[in-house]
Amino acid sequence: MPAGRPGPAAQSARRPPPLLPLLLLCVLGAPQAGSGADAAVISPQDPTLLIGSSLQATCSVHGDPPGATAEGLYWTLNGHRLPPELSRMLNVSTLALALANLNGSRQQSGDNLVCHARDGSILAGSCLYVGLPPEKPFNISCWSKNMKDLTCRWTPGAHGETFLHTNYSLKYKLRWYGQDNTCEEYHTVGPHSCHIPKDLALFTPYEIWVEATNRLGSARSDVLTLDILDVVTTDPPPEVHVSRVGGLEDQLSVRWVSPPALKDFLFQAKYQIRYRVEDSVDWKVVDDVSNQTSCRLAGLKPGTVYFVQVRCNPFGIYGSKKAGIWSEWSHPTAASTPRSERPGPGGGACEPRGGEPSSGPVRRELKQFLGWLKKHAYCSNLSFRLYDQWRAWMQKSHKTRNQDEGILSSGRRGAARGPAR
Amino acid sequence: MSRREGSLEDPQADSSISPLPHLESKIQQTHSLARLLTKYAEQLLQEYVQHQGDPFGLPGFSPPRLPVADLSAPAPGHAGLPVPERLRLDEAALAALPPLLDVVRRRQAELNPRALRLLRRLEDAARQARALGAAVEAVLAALGAETRGPQPEPAAAAAAIAAATVTAGVFPAKVLGLRVCGLYREWVSRTEADLGQLAPGGPA
Repeated sequence: MPAGRPGPAAQSARRPPPLLPLLLLCVLGAPQAGSGADAAVISPQDPTLLIGSSLQATCSVHGDPPGATAEGLYWTLNGHRLPPELSRMLNVSTLALALANLNGSRQQSGDNLVCHARDGSILAGSCLYVGLPPEKPFNISCWSKNMKDLTCRWTPGAHGETFLHTNYSLKYKLRWYGQDNTCEEYHTVGPHSCHIPKDLALFTPYEIWVEATNRLGSARSDVLTLDILDVVTTDPPPEVHVSRVGGLEDQLSVRWVSPPALKDFLFQAKYQIRYRVEDSVDWKVVDDVSNQTSCRLAGLKPGTVYFVQVRCNPFGIYGSKKAGIWSEWSHPTAASTPRSERPGPGGGACEPRGGEPSSGPVRRELKQFLGWLKKHAYCSNLSFRLYDQWRAWMQKSHKTRNQDEGILSSGRRGAARGPAR
Repeated sequence: MSRREGSLEDPQADSSISPLPHLESKIQQTHSLARLLTKYAEQLLQEYVQHQGDPFGLPGFSPPRLPVADLSAPAPGHAGLPVPERLRLDEAALAALPPLLDVVRRRQAELNPRALRLLRRLEDAARQARALGAAVEAVLAALGAETRGPQPEPAAAAAAIAAATVTAGVFPAKVLGLRVCGLYREWVSRTEADLGQLAPGGPA
């Protein structure tokens, strides 16, 4: 007797047969009157095959309705009718198929091989999985954000495409003890990546590897051994501020704060600054910014908007000897250099060269002098600041001289000061 | 199917009854929901056939329309029934669909593990069918019509289908999933049409 009440469309229908057998009949394909539904069976069911291999399949009709034969049956593969010369009747109720040199499956759910009656109705189906076993994953790289987690990325085997669903599993264990663990958060930074969020030990090496598995086999990467402290990265420096340096037209001052998550450990942190003109895509990089939280960019164009970013490398943390991993760049911060009223010497500002001061033998020598002072003089910073103040004073006094001599053309400033005497 | 005279089940009598404002609003909301879900059901069906591969998405593809236990397509005579009776059938179908959609989703998670949007749509469809079924039940209750009352979902049927799909081949499982998605679309669309009979401005 059927359990529960009949379905909604069965009210005017005959009493349904027992539930479980009906379910099984529906799914496995009992013949239904007039439908030809699963009135046959294909063998093999859902085979897995190597690319380039061959397949021998058969479609055997059940003989329901009585008298049904394999006469007139035909095959399709992924909706395409297969040439009749690939088929032959084995006996009155069985049609055979021979496929050679199979291509990789078109979809991961399997290629649809279907046996049809003469009128085109579907008698049975089987899904083919044609592909390659996985190759060894390689190029595993990992990093830890603030020593709290571990994210790893890898490259799948040499050719990548196996035409079959291939499962990648990142495994890890403590080198000298402990059980194998499996990473659970996949695709965090791309299709072949995994994130281990917690419960990681410091000062002891981990062994990490990737296992790739599909219907045709499995492969395992080489083992990567690392200490979390050797692969630490951090957040970009926050609170990046870019400001003018007094009235200096070719300089900007950049200040930032140590990334807070590691600020108590960043004794040897390195920083990098990059900057570009507003309308340019070319970044210039200032590399030599070690363990400071400020820097001055020089040799810039006057009256120009610059975008500036900073990043941090927390190398040497807890005594690690490894190179460290750069953080992401901070959000761009913009500022503009001042523009003077008078044209510069030669009719334009000096072009910056990778962060170097603008060209000129005097300035070059002065830079060398200041560099020497920094190394050998106690008050090197004071000297540089004094130099900037002197430069600003020079520019102002030059403008004043020009006003007195009536050289300045009528600009806003000149107009604001009234007519020339 | 006979009509009881003077009852709320008589669609012709419906037009002479002035529904309460909240009932009208409830009918309208449920009708809007059904219309939205009809669109989602169509999208689900398209997403489904795409991931099964040809011939599933080809025009003229006609796999066997096997009945699924506890659920068939709306009968040809459905539109001729009184509206409350139609809504009862709609509600029953919508209650039967979620476990079937769950079975399909689990099987598709094995066959198409990377088809995240498809898997999400199947999961959403099960929730949406429950929601629409509950809304239709509320409309029926507000109309004073007999409802099914709270009933557990047919877990046994779903479990049996799940077991059967695991042992059955991949192709029959693909066909079953197509059938379930098709039934979902048919019943949601049917529900929209039936509610349209009650909505203000509808034929009733």
